[in-house]
Formats: sequence, structure tokens, C-alpha cells
Amino acid sequence: MSALAGVLATVAAMGIGVYLAAALDTLAGRAVGGGRLDVGGALALPVRRGLALLLRPRARTEHPDAEAWALAPAALAGLAAVGLASIPLAPGLAVADVSAGIVLFGAAMALVMVAVFLQGWSANSVHPTIAGYRFVAQALSYEMPLALVLIGAALPAESLSVGAIVESQAHLWNAIRQPLGMPLFLVAVAGLAFWGPLALPEGEDLAGGTSAEISGAARLAWRVAQLMVLVAGAAMTAAVFLGGWHGPWLPGPAWSVLKTVAVLVLLVWARHRFVRVPIERFVWVSWVVLIPLALLDVFLAGAQALWAAP
Amino acid sequence: MGVRSALARLAAGAPTPAFVVAGAGGRWAAEQLWLEPRIAPTPSPRAADALVVVGYLSEGLLPAVMLAHDQVAPPRLAFQWLPDGAPDDPLAAMVPGVRVVEGGSLVEVVRDAHAGLLAGRGDGHEDAWPDVEPAPWRGVGPYGQGGKGMTGGVPYGRPLTGRADDRDGLKLDRLDVRVGPVFPPFPSGLELVVGLQGDVAQDVSVADNPFEGTAVADEVFRRALRQAVPIAELEVARARSHLRWLGGALRVAGLHALGRRALSLGVRAAPGDADRVARLRRSLARGRGLRWLAGAVGVLREDLGGPVGRAAGHPRDARSEVDEYRALGFEPVTQEGGDALARWRQRVAEAEQALRLARVAGDATVGPLDVVEGPRGPLGTGPLLLDLLPDLLVGMEWGDLVTTVVSLDLDLEEAAVRAGVPA
Repeated sequence: MSALAGVLATVAAMGIGVYLAAALDTLAGRAVGGGRLDVGGALALPVRRGLALLLRPRARTEHPDAEAWALAPAALAGLAAVGLASIPLAPGLAVADVSAGIVLFGAAMALVMVAVFLQGWSANSVHPTIAGYRFVAQALSYEMPLALVLIGAALPAESLSVGAIVESQAHLWNAIRQPLGMPLFLVAVAGLAFWGPLALPEGEDLAGGTSAEISGAARLAWRVAQLMVLVAGAAMTAAVFLGGWHGPWLPGPAWSVLKTVAVLVLLVWARHRFVRVPIERFVWVSWVVLIPLALLDVFLAGAQALWAAP
Repeated sequence: MGVRSALARLAAGAPTPAFVVAGAGGRWAAEQLWLEPRIAPTPSPRAADALVVVGYLSEGLLPAVMLAHDQVAPPRLAFQWLPDGAPDDPLAAMVPGVRVVEGGSLVEVVRDAHAGLLAGRGDGHEDAWPDVEPAPWRGVGPYGQGGKGMTGGVPYGRPLTGRADDRDGLKLDRLDVRVGPVFPPFPSGLELVVGLQGDVAQDVSVADNPFEGTAVADEVFRRALRQAVPIAELEVARARSHLRWLGGALRVAGLHALGRRALSLGVRAAPGDADRVARLRRSLARGRGLRWLAGAVGVLREDLGGPVGRAAGHPRDARSEVDEYRALGFEPVTQEGGDALARWRQRVAEAEQALRLARVAGDATVGPLDVVEGPRGPLGTGPLLLDLLPDLLVGMEWGDLVTTVVSLDLDLEEAAVRAGVPA
């Protein structure tokens, strides 16, 4: 695939994914909140909201770090795009199915911490600053499980390429082969996209935190970048744990997309199901429970791989 | 121009993001805006296109409202809602470009103006405060650093953070911030002065109540001090108060949609709705992570009266002393623990109980009473929870601090009246 086509494909996939995530969230909110369930209206709402933000000016705080402030959403979006580009929709159908795909994904996702911290820091305001530091604590807590379960998934494939990991699930999904992996990875994805129960840097208790001081196009960019991370995380979950393009009847890419949407539905459901977890409790649970479980996941995957080896 | 106006028409279908401030007498009317699909209340003024003040401003509230006004990116909209036929608010003139709307047409007026704003017809550029530095530049370096030592600079009259011992014995930066009186998670009017190290509150004090000296709306609980009122009316009002509180608390906990469900129940709850509340109670008990959020947070074991005292296992309730209530078989419900979680459970349980009482009470009346048990405890007696805040909140992580404040269901207007009325 030529470079230009790859970039266009990533942008298109991201655009559709972000719109879908926003529309699903609106629908779920209506269903839970008991409002009138107007599907057409809910589908149009993300577009209307986006336009309403575009037509409004950007707010200006006192002595912000203007360059960093402009950079933060772009960095977050760029990292999400790199993450998504490493995921193939079908054999050979990827922008960059590099031989160390999960390392690329992991490296991009590790830098999300920098982008979110920049966003919090650069407004020169109390609540976003606290939110930025809060996200650093959050990121340090979910990154270890994220990396460990990806390594666990790579073991049966004997490869770090996402395509090879999907190929290794032709007969048995990793979600079943490594039952600890997918739940841990989903927690990490929610943390990565500061989504739902792990929307700690965007909490109401910080007046919106990292987005407390932004308006207009800057707000739209930040929201879109956040959803891009969510979509990239969901696509990675589908590829690494749900067998990616493997499935009967439908063509491979359709399965990849369907599974990604299913993971998005799960994440949207979690957002309306669970309260936002306080940061101290999340850090505690992560280091005391999640990281040991992720280690156990790697050990079990390693033992299985040794067992299966001829 | 054609493209812009077409885009603006499409965008005008989105709800109007509005920063809502509850002024005197406006708490419940402001809550109601959360149920309005065409308005989207925002967690910060920057996220809003409009400032909406519901009720009357006070001298204490005004500076913060003016600041919030200026933080909405210009061109902006500003509205004040007052009940039909209410006298004008003389302080409203201090908010530039504010449009006073009376009665039921607020949403329509806001929507019309918002459509105009998106189409580029907004003219709200005037700030309430002068856009100048609060004090002259006194730093040395380009970012205000300099003076004596690393943090000796005083840029624009604001000292940089000093350093102080934290709870782990480390020397860390300390930031003194004022939060409120229009901070959405807090009850309107509550302003805390917090010394923060990281996100741990090292000391907390409560600023003056901005509602001091303003009148509070007459409600059924206050009426019961003077005359006979139907028990059903009292209990429905209690259930509604608890459910509306629950709506706000769920919102702060991140469950917006469920909060809307609780709030809409709180706006229209009737004696027959006890089962609906029971369903909501069961839905909350089903592993939503509430224990993580509120368990062992903000523990108050003393007998403080009201739902807060009963959540700590003290069954004191003024209704137990009233024959009419005893005839209905009333017995106070209580919880164990006295933490924020127990207070959540207590209010939901009391809302359900109140609706069941309202149902069996029929048209029985009660009063005038010497002591009326209001939704936040006996009216006109007892210590003010507000006075307990500094000791209770010191040492808490910011998120826990907010969870604790929310769980107390403070009402600054009520507190102002209680402080002003001799017992």
C-alpha cells in the first residue's frame, strides 16, 4: 500500500470509529437516562456538537504555555493514529504491520501520558494541572498490565507482529486461551483513553480537569483525539484477543470491524455502568492486583507455549 | 456566508452548553436544567457558550459569577432566570449583557440566542472584570521567576508556591486555592480555601456564606413549623429532595445518564413511585463500584441528626416523637459506618420510605410542630455540618474531598437561614 493511501485509510478508519463511538455513547446515555430514544437524533448529534464547537472561538487563559497547549491534542491524535496503523484489518491489509507491531503500539501508547500531561499543564490553571499529575499516576498504573498482557499474547504467535498474533488465533482466540489477558487489557484501554470509570483526569471533581479550560476547536480536537485513542485500543483488543479477521461467512475485514465495534459497545456500556474510581484506589488496585495478575498471565502463556512446543 | 449559515443551522441542533449558577432561591430550578435535552450544563465556564444564573445574585456570589462570565469565550451569552412576577435583581446589572428571563420561557430564549451566536450574530464581548494583570510585574525572569531563591518571585502580585512538609515528611510545593462558590460539584455558595500539596488537602477553611442575609424560598418543611400540613406533602417533598440530591451525586461520580434518571424521578416523584425508587436502589447496589468511590470516605460517627446521623446508626428522627407518624408505623431507617457510602444508602432508603409513608398517610395532616425533620435534619436546631468541614476534610485526596462534600447534601441557603434565626 502506498504511503498516501495508508494515511488516507487511517484517517478514514479513525473518522468512522470516532463518530461511531460518539453515537454509541449518545444512544447508551439516552437508554440509561430514560430520555426519549430518538435514534436519528442521536446519530446526528455528534456531528451537530462538533460543528457547534468549530463555530466557537478558543478560550484564552492567563499566560498559558501556548505551544504545548496547541501540541497536546495533535500529539494525542498522532499517537492514536500510530497505534491504529499497526493493526491489520485482514492479512496484508494494514498501514504498517511491522514485525514488531505490538512494540510500536505499546511505545505510542506509553507516550499518551506525555500528551495528557501537556494538556493539563499548559493551561496554567489549577484543575487541569492537578488532572495532568493525576493522569501520570494513572498511566504508571495501567501501563505495566498493558505491556505484560501484550507480551503474553505474542508468546503463542512467537512473533511481535500483530498480523502474526491474529494468525495464531485461527483455531482458538487469545481471549479464551489467556482468560486473564482481555479483561486486563480492557482496563488498560479505558485507562489509556481516560474513559468511563477511569476518566480520572477529566472528572467532574476537577471541573472537567484536562478539558476544564478549553473551548471551541481546541475542545473538539481534544475530544476527537481521546476517542481516537479509544478506537485504537478497541481495534487492538479485537485483533490481539478476539481473533481479528478470523470468522465464518463474512469477509475478514468485516469481522475485524464487527469485533472492534463490539469492544466499543462494551467500553461504552462500562462508562454508563460504573462510577469513576478515585485515583488512590486505582493505583492501589493496579499495583497490588492487576500487575501480579498480568505477570501470572505472562507466566501461564509462557508455560502453554513451552508445552505446545515440539 | 451561505456555508457558514448552513453549518450554523446544523450546529444549532446541538444542545446549548451552559454554565449554570444557582443563585438564591434557584437550587432546584437550576437542577431542572439538567433534564432539559436542549441545554447541556457544563462542568466549567470555558466549556460553555452561555452563563445562566438561576435565581438571585448576592454580594458574596457576584464576584465569582462575574469571573465565570468572563471565562466563557467571547462572544458569549448571559441570562438570569427569575420566577414569574418576581422583583428585579439589582445586582444583575453588574453582569454585562445579561438578559433577565421570567417564568417558563428560559429554554426558548437561550436556544434562540444560541442559534444567533453560532450564526455569528453574537455581540457579548464585554468583560465584567477589567482584563488587566491583578498587580504589576515584579518577577525578574521571563516567566516571573527570580527574586530571592528559586521561588522568590512574585509575578503579578501572586507569590509562587512555597514549600512545606507533606504527610510523608517530604518537602513539597504547596498551592493555596479557593474553590467555589460556583464550583458545580459543590452545593451552590460553598467556597473552600484549600492548601493543596499534590492533590492532598493539607488545610481547609470555609469562606463566608454568600447567601448570608438573603431570603430562602418558603417550602413545606418550614410551613410545618407554623401550621398543619398534609403528611403526604411533607414526605413527597422529602423524597424529591433526596432523589434530586442523588441525581447530582451520581453526576459527580461520572454516571451522568443514571443521574438524569434519578433527577427526573426527583422532579415528579409521587406517593405511588416507591417501587420505582426501590428499583433505583437495587440498581445502585449492583456492583457499580460505589464502594470504591465512597466506602470508608468522610466518616462521621457522631449523632449529628438527620440522614447524616442516621447513616452512622443513630436512629434519632424528629418524626419518631410525633403521634401522627407513630400511628402510620414510622420507624427510622439507619445504616452502619457513617461513611459517604452509608449516607448515599441512607438517603435512597429514606426516599423510598418517605414515598411509602406518603401513600399510607392519605390526607392525614400534622403540625404545627416544634421540631420539623427536614431532608437535612431537624430545622433550626443542631450543629451545622458546614462547621465540621475543615476538620473532616483535612488530609483527604481531592477526589475524596469532593465525594465527602457531596455526600453531606449541604444547603448553604438553608444554613444561612439557620445561622440567622435564633433557636
